[in-house]
Amino acid sequence: MKLTPWKTFAAGALLILLANAVALTGVYLNRSGEPDSRLTLSQRELTLPWGWGMAKENSGMALRLNWRIIDAGASAGEYFDGGFGFSGGTPEWLDTARMAALGFDTAALAEGNEGRRRFERQLPREIVLVLELAGPAWQQALERAQQNAARHEAARLANADSKEFAAKAKRAQELLKREETQNSRLFAIDAGLDRTALRAKYPDRSRFLILKATLRPRLVVRDKTTRATGYVTALAVTQINVPHALRPLLETAQGTRRRTADDAGPHFEATLAVGRRLEPWLESVPAAR
Amino acid sequence: MDTPLRSEAQRRADEIGIFQAELARLDAEGVLRLDAAQQQAVREHHAALLAGFAGRFDIDRDLQAKQLSLGMRVASFLGALALAASVFFLFYQFWGYFDETAQVAILLGAALGSMGLTVWIRTRDASGYFTKLAALVAFACFVLDLSMLGQIFNITPTDRALIPWAALAFLLAYACDLRLLLAAGICCVIAFVSARVGSWSGIYWLHAGERPENFFPVAALLFAFPALVAHRHLTGFASIYRVFGLLCLLVPMLVLGHWGYGSYLADYEGFATRTIEGGYELAGFVASALAIWLGARRQWPDTVNTGITFFVIFLYTKFFDWWWDVMPKYLFFLVLGLAAILILLVLKRLRRVGQAAGEGAR
Repeated sequence: MKLTPWKTFAAGALLILLANAVALTGVYLNRSGEPDSRLTLSQRELTLPWGWGMAKENSGMALRLNWRIIDAGASAGEYFDGGFGFSGGTPEWLDTARMAALGFDTAALAEGNEGRRRFERQLPREIVLVLELAGPAWQQALERAQQNAARHEAARLANADSKEFAAKAKRAQELLKREETQNSRLFAIDAGLDRTALRAKYPDRSRFLILKATLRPRLVVRDKTTRATGYVTALAVTQINVPHALRPLLETAQGTRRRTADDAGPHFEATLAVGRRLEPWLESVPAAR
Repeated sequence: MDTPLRSEAQRRADEIGIFQAELARLDAEGVLRLDAAQQQAVREHHAALLAGFAGRFDIDRDLQAKQLSLGMRVASFLGALALAASVFFLFYQFWGYFDETAQVAILLGAALGSMGLTVWIRTRDASGYFTKLAALVAFACFVLDLSMLGQIFNITPTDRALIPWAALAFLLAYACDLRLLLAAGICCVIAFVSARVGSWSGIYWLHAGERPENFFPVAALLFAFPALVAHRHLTGFASIYRVFGLLCLLVPMLVLGHWGYGSYLADYEGFATRTIEGGYELAGFVASALAIWLGARRQWPDTVNTGITFFVIFLYTKFFDWWWDVMPKYLFFLVLGLAAILILLVLKRLRRVGQAAGEGAR
């Protein structure tokens, strides 16, 4: 076929229009109808961009979803400060049976060291992750922080002359305060492959967020016992674009950046919706200062 | 289609130059002397051909022009990359000031506009350098378009975006005779096919590269493609397919020769990491030797050169594994030098055999 300039342009334009149409139709389908979930999050769960380095030249604004996991590596009762700017980890609830249900080959685990090696070298798979806002998992993290602060305070009182114990107690108090007022309350609590089944299990759409994520097999050694689990590496969509209409509200909050640990820092609330294709978007910003 | 004939015209012009030089030499040595009328006829015929080519395609008519052309090719390549980066950063600098409708309109407009500009420049640019610049900018605009739509509307990243990107790159490459765009399209195909092959076993597509064997199917596809579809009018296109095909075969073999843990075979009992590495080292030697043999037989210099390069890399890395720690360094480098001489002798012999076979065939 002879590719004249006109035919070349027509073919190229058709291709560009078609690709854009497919992408935008996907967006429309995702956002049409009632959202799969709609949660009101705060600055604790949505991190404003820092604007460092190359980001200085990016005029767009995107919020990072800040979510947490009660880590399988933490000992019982130990407070793990994984709440601030931390996303990803090895959940306590992710056991061998659940890894098998998520499509990972766990049969080899019974074959000793070689089998465990083969389990861990499997590559990440896409899963559906359930995130809960201010639920029992967050309460657990809060209790651990309180216990941690109480333990260190008791140690300080028992060693009144020790600067080291005093510093640890102060640090534990700061962590507790951070857990109470700053850390994200959004915790990954379950995972599966069937989003319908997960939604049936967690029907409250204003509390449970269901998103796509990737999971990598991992072995955790605790108390000399090796446990097969997984590491939730990342969400499929890591950043949520701020629509132009909502930017002025968040720019106000961005301007009040925290300078010291005691500084309240920015405060805002934003409604996050997740559509049929499990793709999120920012619906509104009810409060910002 | 006039466009792809530029490379053919350049080849013909080169052949005319060689013919004229040889004719002058034969004339000087008294082997062949054309009479004045014949000389005049040949000269006029060639002059008319070259003038026609120069008018339509801005070809290089002599060695000096050819040397300048190389510089222009480098400049247009670097300029194209810089302009593509500039478009990307220009959008990043200002996109936040527009609402979503305007953002989509700008992205779509830039992709369509740059596509139109490329076609328009193509009709006016006989040299092809400015077309290359515009085509790469058009490709960058389209990549930016889809990736920014993903960012604006928080779309889950997908390997399917590679299909339209590859399609546009191929369209521009074939319509405007641009090898740079062909390479861009091939890179998209490599990424897409390897991601798909990886996802058959359940791997999330972005991690497909962690199993180098995922590149083997696309290697076969790329190497076979110019044999299935003729590229007579497009100089260098078949070579690019073959070189990328060989890279997709030999680079994973090189990686697996030193990282057997990354192989699918490591999932099976009886395949120790060291065994896999040894197998891929051997496979690398065999594959690169086969590439040299096939390239010499089919007169594909690109295949021969790629095969030789990888054969030497495989050989030197093996020497390094065996002897770097145990040999004095002077001896180690002496062995490398001797190995290079041995390779030269083998290739010289191979060339002689090839020439003899060629003469025999004539």
